[in-house]
Amino acid sequence: MSWLRELVEVPVGPAGAGAGGPTDIADLADALTMRGFEVGAVEPWPTADGDPPDAVLDLEITTNRPDCLSVFGIAREVGAIYAAELRPPEVEPTVASAADTPISITITDPALCPRYVGALADVTVGPSPRWLAARLEAADVRPINNIVDVTNYVMLELGHPMHAFDYATLAGPEIRVRRAVAGERIRTLDGIERTLQPDMLTIADAERPQAVAGVMGGADSEVGDTTRTVLLEAAYFNPISVRRTNKRLALSTDASFRFERGADVSAPIAAIARARHLLAVIGAGRPRGAVVDCFPGPPDPIVVRLRHQRIGHLLGQTVDPAFVAPTLTRLGFAPRLETEGESPTWQVTVPSFRVDVHREEDLIEEVARHHGYERLPTTFPALTRPAQAAGGWRARDQTVRRLLTGCGFSEAITYGFVEREAALAMHVEASDLVALSNPLSEKGAVLRPSLLPGLVDSLIHNRRRERQDIRLFELGSRFRQGAGETPSLAVALTGAAIAQHWTGPERTADLFDLTGALTRLAEGFGAQVAFEAGTMRALVPGRTARIQLTCGAHTTAVGWVGQLDPTLASRRGLPGSRDVYVAELDLRPLTLDAFGRLRAAPVPRHPSVVRDLSLEIDDALPAAQVRGTIWAAAGPTLVSVREVDRYQGSGVPAGSVSLSVRLTFRAADRTLTDAEVQTATDEVVSALEQAYRAKLR
Amino acid sequence: MTAPTAIDTIRVAFQADLGAVVTAQDLQSVRDRYLGRKQGAVAALMKSMAGAAPADRPALGKAANVLKREIDAALTQRGDTLDDTARPVGSVDVTLPGRALPFGRRHPLTLIREQVESIFETMGFEILQGPQVEDDYHNFEALNMPPDHPARDMQDTFYLEQPMPGGGEGATPPATLLRTHTSGMQIRYMESHEPPVRIISPGLVYRRDTPDLTHSPMFMQVEGLLVGEGITMADLKGTLVSFLQAFFDAGTRVMFRPSFFPYTEPSAEVFISCVFCEGTGCAVCKQTGWLEILGCGMVHPAVFEAVGYDPERYTGWAFGLGIDRVALLKYRVEDIRLFYDNDLRLLEQFPH
Ligand SMILES: [Zn+2]
Repeated sequence: MSWLRELVEVPVGPAGAGAGGPTDIADLADALTMRGFEVGAVEPWPTADGDPPDAVLDLEITTNRPDCLSVFGIAREVGAIYAAELRPPEVEPTVASAADTPISITITDPALCPRYVGALADVTVGPSPRWLAARLEAADVRPINNIVDVTNYVMLELGHPMHAFDYATLAGPEIRVRRAVAGERIRTLDGIERTLQPDMLTIADAERPQAVAGVMGGADSEVGDTTRTVLLEAAYFNPISVRRTNKRLALSTDASFRFERGADVSAPIAAIARARHLLAVIGAGRPRGAVVDCFPGPPDPIVVRLRHQRIGHLLGQTVDPAFVAPTLTRLGFAPRLETEGESPTWQVTVPSFRVDVHREEDLIEEVARHHGYERLPTTFPALTRPAQAAGGWRARDQTVRRLLTGCGFSEAITYGFVEREAALAMHVEASDLVALSNPLSEKGAVLRPSLLPGLVDSLIHNRRRERQDIRLFELGSRFRQGAGETPSLAVALTGAAIAQHWTGPERTADLFDLTGALTRLAEGFGAQVAFEAGTMRALVPGRTARIQLTCGAHTTAVGWVGQLDPTLASRRGLPGSRDVYVAELDLRPLTLDAFGRLRAAPVPRHPSVVRDLSLEIDDALPAAQVRGTIWAAAGPTLVSVREVDRYQGSGVPAGSVSLSVRLTFRAADRTLTDAEVQTATDEVVSALEQAYRAKLR
Repeated sequence: MTAPTAIDTIRVAFQADLGAVVTAQDLQSVRDRYLGRKQGAVAALMKSMAGAAPADRPALGKAANVLKREIDAALTQRGDTLDDTARPVGSVDVTLPGRALPFGRRHPLTLIREQVESIFETMGFEILQGPQVEDDYHNFEALNMPPDHPARDMQDTFYLEQPMPGGGEGATPPATLLRTHTSGMQIRYMESHEPPVRIISPGLVYRRDTPDLTHSPMFMQVEGLLVGEGITMADLKGTLVSFLQAFFDAGTRVMFRPSFFPYTEPSAEVFISCVFCEGTGCAVCKQTGWLEILGCGMVHPAVFEAVGYDPERYTGWAFGLGIDRVALLKYRVEDIRLFYDNDLRLLEQFPH
């Protein structure tokens, strides 16, 4: 706070409630927060007896405002908030003659370093005075020695990073700002030997790199106790280049943090002058020679047109023109009135430290911030065209959720990435996997090619927490190199289908509970589902089926259902030996279109007739096939076929099964006669005898 | 004490005892107490008459007999009604538990997402879903985040080892990353539609954050976008205040504060009065009384330029809301990771 007060005339403190000023530090913190500089904490800072109370404001600075990574930057905002005068810090008067230039600077790549300012100072290295060290500590910067501390002090105060070289260690007075030669090495201040690449910029002497530009200095030219002369550096480095370099070297410093966000190309001179002044003030050194400024092509300042009318157009409220220009001026902009009147326009020159301001909207944000978001009205935008319905996916997903929760399945959401091994164990070829190049851990190495690995893990999670009966489903994307990202549904089931009850024992769930749920799901979409025996990785052979979905006119193989391989399940951590049944299907063919075309059929007006047939038949014959033969033979009055019993054992020859089928007959236009039903039934029996040598029992 | 008074006393006491009868056993004990041959109250009354004046005896005896018949009739009648409440043939113990029917729940994040969707649906927003694997252009570049933009650090990204087929509609470049926000859908929609635009896009997004109480490398977000002629920041405030009050409660206070997002200008962070302490300050809101709930702002003209909209003619706003964060606040869940454990002990607390 005391530092801030040095730079802007704001009467803050219990006794300092001036006209229009904040009443206390908390009030100032609120004002900054409401202008986009979130004050995370206000910590009291110890002061000497008799001094006004001091505090440290902990500010959150968004990435677009590198100019406010400094006390002076914040002072400027405070000045705009309270219409208070800024007090730029004292600097060394520019006295040295331009002829007195003990060093020479060449920039070989002005795109990476448009400006480099250097100056010498003869110094006596030692500890910093207490006040200076205390301010660094308040900003969480460790005091090192008076020289390094001054460069850090200037960075914190003005926001511009600086560096000091031990001049005696440099190979002569020549400073070259150049790209590294491939393989060139430097030991940085943190003691690590680093290999440089040609896209990295260095500060070199006549022989070798002495600093990684904008990131960190070299250990060989580090300022130490024996240093007698320092070369002070203040430069502007290209943000992208600094960012790339610090990413490549995995080295982020206070300097690179500021350069990569954008430093102020105009600041180096002020920074050097301030540093040489401070060195003199604390008795650490005195300037030697002139400040050498290498600035091959100073850029033209950005000028942005600001229309008063556009401010209201964007904000929804008219802001007083008399507020606009003075506010921008206090923030460092130079607005020049272009057209006068009720709704004027300005040509606004953007200061070089405002690297975030390029266009009119950026200026409007400045106005809005200081006008106050809280003062904007709340209005509601008119609908200018009818609302559009969501795509079919939404009704589909909602219907799936409704149907499956109705069948007792709870919805899971699992991570989009899984272990490679888990992915390969279920349903996919290695070449179809999509791997992450930077996973958090091996547990999330690949994008899930199937929802099953995640869902099975969730089932196991519950199973390991005393839960016996588990029904889960998940709706989500799966990712495959071949098919891309597609919507999928997975279902998992274990434990009781019917829980133990005082009226009877538990019935353990089996495959038919899951195929039953899938049948319900299909019915809920007006679709049909059929199951065909098949084999699939991770599923138990003989207890695995391919799911055929008939939705509208299309029949598609949408996925698989079966018993999860128990070895795999236990390898994933499943305790106990109860069966787990799983299914996964592609959701794309599942649509509610059938209901869109729905026309209700008349309700039957005539009674139906039921006939049960008991057959002895080959037990390897799929029920679906038998059913197909029955439908084909019975003629148009058959309305349903249902397997009601299946028995093997005494009285039934080996290789055969006793199958009871219930046939229901009905005609839309008449009551069927016994004779008609008998004829149809006889047709069915004889067809089954012929096709499968089935015997009527 | 005279005999008629004694008769009345017995009568009153009997009515009280009769009223307290619940079971057949109770009834028998009342009968014994009043009509019992040796200990009964009526028998005692009869005995006591021996001491009465001879002239009074016939009247007293008559009154005592009336009382006896009265009590007998009342007991018999009560007995009949007791028979009516006995368990009929075939009765069951209805207090035994019924058969449990399977009952699944929707995921809490789905519940929140659907609530958010339905509020915006009533405000005329279309609901869209976009791909989770994205290309750099739709996730960053078109949103005013060119390569090497420092703002990309705010959204640490998962990259794919090899590009895979892009998931968007129409011609789309191969996907190279997991989307860090659902904003890519804004771009896709604007690329193929002319204003006015009024959409929300919910879905899962990914950021390379180490999991902790409030961070998950995957989370659910909903993004909104409104573009048209004359759309203002005041409209943004009005719409979001309506939404937040509909979602939390009508008394929720809403605060807008300047912030920074590369794809909006001006940008704002939105806070609601703390749902835990109602604004008085607590541990969750760090004593501020406010909870950060979403980010928003006026669409940056560079975004409009990227999709071919004229930024002079059209203005608009966008917002992004973390479904997980809202679920943590609304349901007072303490750890975001619980949403992805799918522990039935958590899931089964939520409505169907
Ligand atoms: Zn609170």
